[in-house]
Amino acid sequence: MPIRLLPPNLVNQIAAGEVVERPASAVKELTENAVDAGATRIDITLNDGGKSLIVVVDNGSGMTPRDLEVAVERHATSKLPSDDLLDIGFLGFRGEALPAIGSISRLTVTSRTADADSAWYMMVAGGQKQGPVPAPHPRGTRVEVRDIFYATPARLKFLKTATTELSYVIDVVERLAMAHPEIAFTVTVDGKSRLNLPAAHTQGDLFDIHLERLTAILGKEFGANAVPVAAEREGLKLYGYIGLPTLNRGNAMAQYLFVNGRPVRDRMLQGAVRAAYQDVLASNRYPYVVLFLEVPRTEVDVNVHPAKAEVRFRDAGLVRGLLIGAIRHTLAESGHRASSSIATATLGAFQPGTVQQNRPFMTRPAQAFGAARTLESTMAENGLGESPSLFLTQPSAPDTTAESISGETFPLGVARAQVHETYIVAQTGDGIVIVDQHAAHERLLYERMKQSLGNGGIKRQLLLIPEVVEMDEGSAGRVLARAAELSELGLVIESFGTGAVAVREVPALLGEGDVAGLLRDLADELAEWDEAMSLKERLADVCGTMACHSAVRAGRRLNPTEMNALLRQMEVTPNSGQCNHGRPTYVELKLSDIERLFGRR
Amino acid sequence: MKIVIERAALLKSLGHVQSVVERRNTIPILSNVRIDAAKGNMSLHATDMDIEIAESTAADVGKGGATTTPVLTLYEIVRKLPDGAQVELTTSSDGGQIALAAGRSKFTLACLPVEDFPAMSGGDLSHSFKLGAADLRGLIDRTKFAISTEETRYYLNGIYVHATKSDGVNVLRAVATDGHRLARVEVPLPDGAAGMPGVIVPRKTVGELRKLIDETDADIEISLSDAKIRFGFDNVVLTSKLIDGTFPDYERVIPSGNDKTLEINRKDLANAVDRVSAISSEKSRSIKMACEKGMITLSASSPEAGSATEEVEASYAAGQLEIGFNSRYLLDILQQVEGDAARFSMSDAASPTIIRDVADGSAVYVLMPMRV
Repeated sequence: MPIRLLPPNLVNQIAAGEVVERPASAVKELTENAVDAGATRIDITLNDGGKSLIVVVDNGSGMTPRDLEVAVERHATSKLPSDDLLDIGFLGFRGEALPAIGSISRLTVTSRTADADSAWYMMVAGGQKQGPVPAPHPRGTRVEVRDIFYATPARLKFLKTATTELSYVIDVVERLAMAHPEIAFTVTVDGKSRLNLPAAHTQGDLFDIHLERLTAILGKEFGANAVPVAAEREGLKLYGYIGLPTLNRGNAMAQYLFVNGRPVRDRMLQGAVRAAYQDVLASNRYPYVVLFLEVPRTEVDVNVHPAKAEVRFRDAGLVRGLLIGAIRHTLAESGHRASSSIATATLGAFQPGTVQQNRPFMTRPAQAFGAARTLESTMAENGLGESPSLFLTQPSAPDTTAESISGETFPLGVARAQVHETYIVAQTGDGIVIVDQHAAHERLLYERMKQSLGNGGIKRQLLLIPEVVEMDEGSAGRVLARAAELSELGLVIESFGTGAVAVREVPALLGEGDVAGLLRDLADELAEWDEAMSLKERLADVCGTMACHSAVRAGRRLNPTEMNALLRQMEVTPNSGQCNHGRPTYVELKLSDIERLFGRR
Repeated sequence: MKIVIERAALLKSLGHVQSVVERRNTIPILSNVRIDAAKGNMSLHATDMDIEIAESTAADVGKGGATTTPVLTLYEIVRKLPDGAQVELTTSSDGGQIALAAGRSKFTLACLPVEDFPAMSGGDLSHSFKLGAADLRGLIDRTKFAISTEETRYYLNGIYVHATKSDGVNVLRAVATDGHRLARVEVPLPDGAAGMPGVIVPRKTVGELRKLIDETDADIEISLSDAKIRFGFDNVVLTSKLIDGTFPDYERVIPSGNDKTLEINRKDLANAVDRVSAISSEKSRSIKMACEKGMITLSASSPEAGSATEEVEASYAAGQLEIGFNSRYLLDILQQVEGDAARFSMSDAASPTIIRDVADGSAVYVLMPMRV
């Protein structure tokens, strides 16, 4: 059979296979076009999860009739003005979306530029063009996609249910909306409004408008527990919001990463986030992050994936370093803050207030108060500046007492009592704090141990018989490429011929461990996350166990001086708000919350 | 089967065989001891499928026979019987139970058929020789500490025993290492051991054997092939599988060009190391040893606890050297040195150090330094 060039329609259908996988991909392409057209409002309408109808209407720059005609041709775009693939300033650039969608569906495009006196209409069905003809439409573009995949029944068969397809669409729109808070987005599904994101107010700084949009999408909980990140290094700019470690979830779904405004799911970036949180979260918990990375266009290649979900950086190490550094720094700055969702949960536990639930709580105050009574004399002795009588006669006047002991100057307040020999209750300027003494002390010791590891360097045991670990060539290469980084952590390796790695020195802390297993884990992680975490994890495990053993136990009675010392240390220690697994070390209840509990507000 | 035996004799034999039995078993019969009685003699067998210990002892056998019964229960009962009691063991007619009677105490234990008891065939043991108990103890004691516990390097989980030449003399040599340190001990080659295959004796076997030979002065009869080893003395026979693996070429890691020699009182050094390492809070307990003319300075520090130094007199003439060690490892080795003085041969802070007993050339210890 002779070799021949495929007809253009078939070529487009093949391209559609790459670019348009499911209705969500079509929505993504069309919405990105609208963003690129400078729209300030984008309305998306879907029927049947997008399977029967997708309409994307924007108020952007619009197209002339000539543009319209060319736009539905393959590799036609206005977004590469300088013909330089290294200089990509728009979300799209491949010029594939419209023809690809047109080749597999019934596509109509109606568009009007600002200075045109009418709109023009163009139709493509199964690759056949009709138009352009004049039509009524305000400024902007309306793209209608009906019966997607009708021309490729095989693909149609593999679509999931309307609900599932819809959730993909929503995810796509949400990601774009996060990156563009200045644009209003609406999604209407089967006639009902599903998503309505008004344009965020453009005044105020960049952070505020992003947070407004993020809160609208990710929920109030994120808004209350997110801290802003901002960092810049060698022309790279990183900004966004990251959730406190105590706000975590079981999968990586809540990680939104953007490169130059483009939503990406990049392995390397996800690995960096994981590495940055490694110390404060258990390995099976994932943080909430929304990060925007701005990279000079020449430093990043976005043309590596048809749907542009992956990108490639010229200097990946720099990007990773920036990300990890900025997140760690921000987490350390936010210091001992634990997420307010915990306080909310605590209140929730109190509030339903059926009699039965309340009973144990009601019987305890006497006991707790008794403990406080035995302590107050010691408190006075230790010069806490409070007479026992004041404490006894005015337990219900927190405002004055708080002032008299200047609780405001200490974020975690002044210890009032220890209950059940396990929890410290402290009074702050505007509420109370309940501290889990064991978890808190454990974290303090752990942080100190890490610091001394960092200062003194990790001691390394040289191996008498170097352990040769055989693995596949790729894995060996990946691990060896990070040899310098690993040697800082005490693991010295070198190449031992093809596909083999010789381990010369191991961290003394690990003792006689399974070195081969460790190396294989590292190789796997490098392949999956581009990040070597097992070694740090194992070292942290050893430190964690040691910290746990030497921390004060639950059940140990602490005197007020000890309790206050613990609180003061927590205030100055980074990451003291959660234990090594992301559980909180303390809960804060605002006075207003407590008043609400008693119906005073 | 019907046996009458003095409690002390039964207890001693049971004590020897029971320790090989695992406390938890998925195969019930492995919890049992096999009892054979014939002609004034009773023999006990216990096994974990890798090691088998058999011991025979004189008994008043009324009727010969064989059975198996849970060894730990039997051992506990016999242990609690009064001193000097005569123990009578009788199997029921159907073989399903065994009755134990001593004085007024009576017990009945369940039995499992003797045919199901796994027999460990000796197979062909190609080489056989005799070694004095004291020599064998010396080989084990001075190498055991270095056996690796890391299961992934299974071939290091035992003592490598082989015949070789050392300075032109034929020797039987035992070597153990965990990759951080190594111990090599040798004794003159016994008759019959020439040409024996090099074998790796598993850690558990070493432990069991060491317990068995603790008090004996008899020569130990050792027979082995490349898959099994058997130790026999008095009335006890221990048969064990060997680790099927290749022991690394350990000679390669014992340096020959270490020119910095240090001689030091063993006890003084051990005590000083022990004291100084008290300050080191981390798990590895690292310690630094600075050698200069006529003395060494040991030091350790930890950010929390502070620091410690101690000087120890020594005979040292080479150039200054500072070297770090895991103090546990160092103490382990110093404990094996029986003479008054230990000799260190060093090269630099990153190369293996050799430690010897000045009075006894049969043992060599190699220790890899730490980077501190």
